[in-house]
Amino acid sequence: MAQTRSGSKLLWDIVSYTILVVLALVCVFPIIWTFLTSIKVEEDIVTRDMVYFPTRFTFDSYIKLWYQSSYPTLVINSLVVTSLTVLICLMTGTIASYALSRFHFPGRTQLMLGYLVVRMFPAVLMIIPLFIVMRQVGLLDSTYGLAIAYTSFLLPLFVWMLKGFFDAAPKELESAARIDGSTRLGAMFRIVIPIARNGLVATCVFVAIAAWNEYLFALMLTTSQGSRTWPVGLQLMVGEFQLPWGMLAAGGMISILPVIILFAIVQRVMVAGITAGAVKG
Amino acid sequence: MSRAMYTAANPPPRTAWDRINPIRLIGELSETRYWMYLLLLPSALLITAVVLYPTAYGMQMSFREMRLNRPDLGTDWVLFKHYARMLADPIFWTALRNTAVWVTSSIALEFLIGLVAALALNRNLPGTKLLAVLILLPYFLPNVVAGHMWALMLDPRMGVINDLLVRTGLLTGYKAWFADPSTAMAAAIIVESWHSFPFFTLLIMAGLKGIPTDLYKAADIDGAGPFAQLRLITLPMLKTIIAAAVILRVIGLVNSPDLLLILTSGGPGRSTQVLSLYAFQIAYKDFNFGYAGALSVVMFVLLMLFAWAYVRLSKVNQD
Amino acid sequence: MTRFDRRSVLKMGGGMLAASALFPKAAFAQSASINYWHTFTSQSEQAGLDSVMALFKAAHPDINVTPENIPNPEFMAKITAAVVSGSRPNVTMVSSERFRDLLAMGALIDMTDRIANWERRADFDDSRFASISLDGKVYGVPGFAFVDWMYYRKDWFEEAGIAPPKTYAEMRDAAIKLTDASKGRYGFGLRGGPGGQNYIINVMEAFGSPVLHADGSIGLDRDKAIEAIDFFAGLLVKDGAVPPSAANDGFRQVIEGFQTGQTAMIWHHTGSYQDIVSKLEPGVQFGTLAMPAGPATRVARLAYAYNTITKEDGADAAWEWIKFWGEPDAAVAFLEKTGYFPASTVAAQDQRITGNPMYAAAADTLAFGIPQPSFPGAAGWAESSVLPNFQRVLIGEATAEQAVDEMIAGLAEATA
Repeated sequence: MAQTRSGSKLLWDIVSYTILVVLALVCVFPIIWTFLTSIKVEEDIVTRDMVYFPTRFTFDSYIKLWYQSSYPTLVINSLVVTSLTVLICLMTGTIASYALSRFHFPGRTQLMLGYLVVRMFPAVLMIIPLFIVMRQVGLLDSTYGLAIAYTSFLLPLFVWMLKGFFDAAPKELESAARIDGSTRLGAMFRIVIPIARNGLVATCVFVAIAAWNEYLFALMLTTSQGSRTWPVGLQLMVGEFQLPWGMLAAGGMISILPVIILFAIVQRVMVAGITAGAVKG
Repeated sequence: MSRAMYTAANPPPRTAWDRINPIRLIGELSETRYWMYLLLLPSALLITAVVLYPTAYGMQMSFREMRLNRPDLGTDWVLFKHYARMLADPIFWTALRNTAVWVTSSIALEFLIGLVAALALNRNLPGTKLLAVLILLPYFLPNVVAGHMWALMLDPRMGVINDLLVRTGLLTGYKAWFADPSTAMAAAIIVESWHSFPFFTLLIMAGLKGIPTDLYKAADIDGAGPFAQLRLITLPMLKTIIAAAVILRVIGLVNSPDLLLILTSGGPGRSTQVLSLYAFQIAYKDFNFGYAGALSVVMFVLLMLFAWAYVRLSKVNQD
Repeated sequence: MTRFDRRSVLKMGGGMLAASALFPKAAFAQSASINYWHTFTSQSEQAGLDSVMALFKAAHPDINVTPENIPNPEFMAKITAAVVSGSRPNVTMVSSERFRDLLAMGALIDMTDRIANWERRADFDDSRFASISLDGKVYGVPGFAFVDWMYYRKDWFEEAGIAPPKTYAEMRDAAIKLTDASKGRYGFGLRGGPGGQNYIINVMEAFGSPVLHADGSIGLDRDKAIEAIDFFAGLLVKDGAVPPSAANDGFRQVIEGFQTGQTAMIWHHTGSYQDIVSKLEPGVQFGTLAMPAGPATRVARLAYAYNTITKEDGADAAWEWIKFWGEPDAAVAFLEKTGYFPASTVAAQDQRITGNPMYAAAADTLAFGIPQPSFPGAAGWAESSVLPNFQRVLIGEATAEQAVDEMIAGLAEATA
């Protein structure tokens, strides 16, 4: 029995490995191509003869990008807005998600759908009234205003995703803690949230990426002097009849860097997986 | 019974500080009946305050005449005029059909690839960490960059994919993927799936970690093969997470015209025209906000129906 | 105790967040500064704007111009939002086909008096203000000109022994002769993708079916329009003289096609001149021509980008900035970076322009160029009806008759 089990395990391991490698190549190839484009000279990009391994390199694209449209400012703006968004979502969304997962009350499904409902209205049409509201409140063209706008449509995402994880965390532990005399608050913070930590981290990562990459709201609600974010800056380089491919590629590479770093840090937490231990016992 | 029970972990207040300690007080509060509403309050307030007015404004727009470049027409209430026009509008039906194709195909592809990747990564083979980072990369690119880069790679003059396909003999000449209606939608779906499948992978991976390995061991002993295990253990356990992911992704796909705007603008000849793009163009090119509002309301209603039906049918809340 | 600390930090952070939300940042600029919204995005355009701004700064050190670039597709969306919510920019760059829509929205401020009292007013032909005036009121000053012209591969033409075309028929013949699919060469770079609608309308007019008539009425002549679509789409569908990617080729693809040696002729305007020069040698590899004439008339668009005042406050400073574009030095500096022609007649006669043979075609066009048809809903109709229906003919999904019928129906709806 052990022989066939490990034999078939080996087979599946090989299959999995092949799939993963092929998938990784497919995923990473466009990004490598983007990187190559960002260091190629213009002649090697706009040409009939495909250049695979460029013999001449240049960092002009990066330099031009950095100094034009004050890219560093844009990146910092994006960082601030993203952090604010994640913070607000974390503070308000975790407890909401917990409530939706643990407590059954009349109107629960409706409320859950209600959270989703706000996401369902196309942003395209909400932009103008939102613009008016922001202006009246004085939050136009500020990182706080943008963060609040992002929170409004990312919070439902946060709550829904996290609810899935809370649902998957077993209730027995909380019951045990409550029998031991913990308050609901204590049970929430000391037991459930640590167990759902993976989910919490994954959800925060998503919200952060969504806020980092968002374009439409940033375009409409900010100006270049205020809190414009980098996706807007990048899209503005797309000219009517000329696309600076090198600079666009350079912008893409710069933008992906913080995300990769964030993810590398978060990876350890996600791969660790403490749930196995808690549930088995 | 609203008084908290005093136990070893939650002793009665002894000192003056104990009486006003906010954490203790909130702890007591958490025992009350209203605790769950308090938990929901901050987020509900936030969303209502920021979203309610614009959404209501958008909805009432759909019942009025609102053509920004024709102020002579006024902004009277026209009730269902726009909706009637929509039913008779062939472009609307084309867009609706295209939206269905766009969403269904993309979700199916993203879910499949996402699931396979998550399962494979979950085996924790050597090098998983590196492979995981690489596989999840596409999601980190914003639509702007991903769209233009793929446009470059598929370009009929300078596209590297065209070049590779020609070199390997699969194509005879560079193909204009987005100029041919039969391939435009397919190419867009592939780009979209490439971009968003890591969404599913991440969520499913995190969910897989929550499934106790005992279940699989028991299944092994019972002689269940890997596909049976997938069907009977893995997928049911992931039900809630998959539901959340699918619904969220569907909403994203229906509502956001970004990628198609960059790749095709709805062309050629409306073969990739989807509802979100149509609403955007009606609003900002034709300046007919009334009709665009009506289109948005229809999209909104469709999404609500879908979410409600999905939650009901998959019985996600019964656990 | 660590538990307590973590939570208290969170609470403090929340409190600070709420407090700071009560002191929002100041939105737009002060009195000695003006905001300028424009649609320049390419490298050459940016360089051109920079050089004009530098000259302006030297002449008016007390006025600070803050440019804000917005991509063309989103421009109307942003302006609409700004107008609706009342946070308008001081000066806005407006192209002629957007004029009527913006005026109808109430975005533009009347400039008739200022312009009448301007000493450089005589530098401009009256016709140049036509597309920015209505009922005797003028709403803008032309900043620079879009002069339509044609680029052609001089070397290919010489190789094949063909003369540069002057009419549509000649162009078609040349295109067919110069097409050699085995070498990857095509005669004409047809723009069937985003932005192509204007040329389709031009071709229809050249065949005798202008959409805006001299008496102000709006409508297409069905038979002539069908002939036009047949001809234009036929370049791909029947003659095969156009790259197969035409249905999705926008501005950049058409330019890239020409730059990489795929096409022999393309239609565009002078604004792309510097970009072409960066890849091909002027006078040797490529040359410039005036737009060829159609069977009924020659249609070469001469459009202007107008600078308009869109906000009452700071109108004087805004006026200074707008006037400055009429200065010959500024205009020529802009031309040298971009290729956009000056709007003022006097500046166009500057030695630096007339002395350059490559600009001859554009200078000629100034004489017979005509403005783009503009009426409320024009831009929307062109983009959502003309273009997709033309594309359907290109991909073989519709005949020219069906396409034209759809366009006529769309026109009726847009102007209803």
